[in-house]
Amino acid sequence: MAGVTLRNVVKRFGSFEVIHGADLEVEDGEFVVFVGPSGCGKSTLLRMIAGLEDISDGEIAIGGTVVNDVEPADRGTAMVFQSYALYPHMTVEKNLSFGLRMNGNDKADTARRVERAAKILRIEELLDRRPGQLSGGQRQRVAIGRAIVRDPEVFLFDEPLSNLDAELRVQMRVEIARLHAELGVTMVYVTHDQVEAMTLADRIVVLRDGRIEQIGRPLDLYDDPANRFVAGFVGSPKMNFMAAEVVGAENGSVTVALTNQGGARLTVPAKNGFAAGDKLTVGLRPEHFGGAGEGDCELSVKVDVAEHLGSTSYVYANTASGEQLVIEREESRSEIGVEHLTVSIPAARTYLFDASGARLR
Amino acid sequence: MRMRTRAAYGFLTPYLLIFAAFWVWPIVYSFYLSFLATRIQPWRFNPGMTWGRLVVDPAFANALKNTLIILVIQVPVMIALATLLAVLLNSQLLRARGIMRFAFFAPVVVGEAAYAAVFRLMFNADFGVVNKLITGIGLPRVDWFASPTAAMALIIMAVTWRWVGYNAIIILSGLQAIPNDVYEAATLDRVSKPRQFFFITLPLLKPIILFCVVLSVIGTMQLFAEPFLITNRGGPGGATETLGLFLYRQGFTVLNFGYASAVAYTIAALAIFISLVNLWIGRSPK
Repeated sequence: MAGVTLRNVVKRFGSFEVIHGADLEVEDGEFVVFVGPSGCGKSTLLRMIAGLEDISDGEIAIGGTVVNDVEPADRGTAMVFQSYALYPHMTVEKNLSFGLRMNGNDKADTARRVERAAKILRIEELLDRRPGQLSGGQRQRVAIGRAIVRDPEVFLFDEPLSNLDAELRVQMRVEIARLHAELGVTMVYVTHDQVEAMTLADRIVVLRDGRIEQIGRPLDLYDDPANRFVAGFVGSPKMNFMAAEVVGAENGSVTVALTNQGGARLTVPAKNGFAAGDKLTVGLRPEHFGGAGEGDCELSVKVDVAEHLGSTSYVYANTASGEQLVIEREESRSEIGVEHLTVSIPAARTYLFDASGARLR
Repeated sequence: MRMRTRAAYGFLTPYLLIFAAFWVWPIVYSFYLSFLATRIQPWRFNPGMTWGRLVVDPAFANALKNTLIILVIQVPVMIALATLLAVLLNSQLLRARGIMRFAFFAPVVVGEAAYAAVFRLMFNADFGVVNKLITGIGLPRVDWFASPTAAMALIIMAVTWRWVGYNAIIILSGLQAIPNDVYEAATLDRVSKPRQFFFITLPLLKPIILFCVVLSVIGTMQLFAEPFLITNRGGPGGATETLGLFLYRQGFTVLNFGYASAVAYTIAALAIFISLVNLWIGRSPK
């Protein structure tokens, strides 16, 4: 069992730097998810831990040992690839045992490990089949099984569910969570799907353009994002962002006018020093809009589209202003066909960001 | 017949007529010819003079033996070289890969007569560059066109030179179809590069290699240009006479069309048989 430590890890392809000094401490047995949009460097970072990419600068340690110059096979990691990377010409049993057989592992022990992995993943009846005869979900199980037989200290998952359909993805997500509980080993998991990140992770690492934007427990990131990027990336539907201008500041609070929302005024508690005319962004999650008269500021919005999902509804409003609002409403059958809606903003639920996207408190 | 079907056949008719006249008819007619004694007019039905003669004709046996020797040596050597070459041409370490790929493919583009002439010059016993190199390192001079063994080796080298790049390009396409992450998974499984080649690359290339083997078998069974042009019509003394050359002699020199037809059918049957054996040996396990 081992934790993973990244110290100022840098990756350059030629002169092009893609990871700009990442620092991270993954505890032993922890489930950490790297999340971020395409091209943010999350897969590269994972491949650097696996040893499939060289480290241009900095240090990676697994179980306290620096592994910068250690061969991938000697790092105590096992990786599950997005494309499964199964050996197409081998049966499932051969796929699982290939690495062990090639390394002269004891036959009885190999058989025992394959049996154990097959049992954990419930693929015992598939052992004689070839990858081509398996469904996507079954292939994914075999790929995970191949990692399990290696008995690794750290599991690395590179977007393992992105090739599966929605239903299977939910099912495999539960399986992976069960696997983590059962094996208790360190897992580092890469995904661009924030739902996967929120549901699986002990801690989430949000990346953007090769930089770690924030590290934290899923609900901490949700409740207390460090910047506008994290606030927008975590949560679905994403947080609403409204342009605002400071019209007055007092000790401990600031009053802003929501520029694109009819100039509605809102006083928000804040410690930063503000001056009238400062440009800000006010963030509010869709579920935090209140009904008329419930909040600190009223907005009359024009409904463009409403999605009624039964228990909740999502109202897309004020698109014409160039600043669309997404409002989550509880049971709203009575509002079907409604064109205008009055909602309120509770000041305590808002987030303030400056022009660079940094959070203001 | 439905109107649409009738219209379709109407459009197909010109092609089908040409196909029947120039493809089906020659095949059927040559099969009929193979049962006729055609040395003396009028041609008579006498399979003993054609099919029967195949069994007892020492010249045919010699051509068959030569062809099989070339087949057994040249095809495996060439396919092995082509596979190695494909791996090399696929290597990230190789500079100017595009130019290299073309260079190895180029012999196919060169005309047979031109390349035969160059080979004759290079292997000339007295002033050829090959003998100069051989004697230069202290080995005895080889008379490439006078020694039966050397002439056979020359044919094998020439055919290999001409077709190795062609096969390498086909195998290269197979190599490029193998996803890189399979190798990464093997690297994480602590499987060395040579073992990755034997346990992953080769098995995954099997269908392509088999395809190349079948193509090469068919090509070698019909081998004609090299023994005709390089070793002077199968010389020395028939030592490099192949089935293709033997067929040419019967059809074009002796004008024994019946016997030539029987030989042609034998060549085709052997090519099909050997190819099927190859496919059977290389079949995928269930």
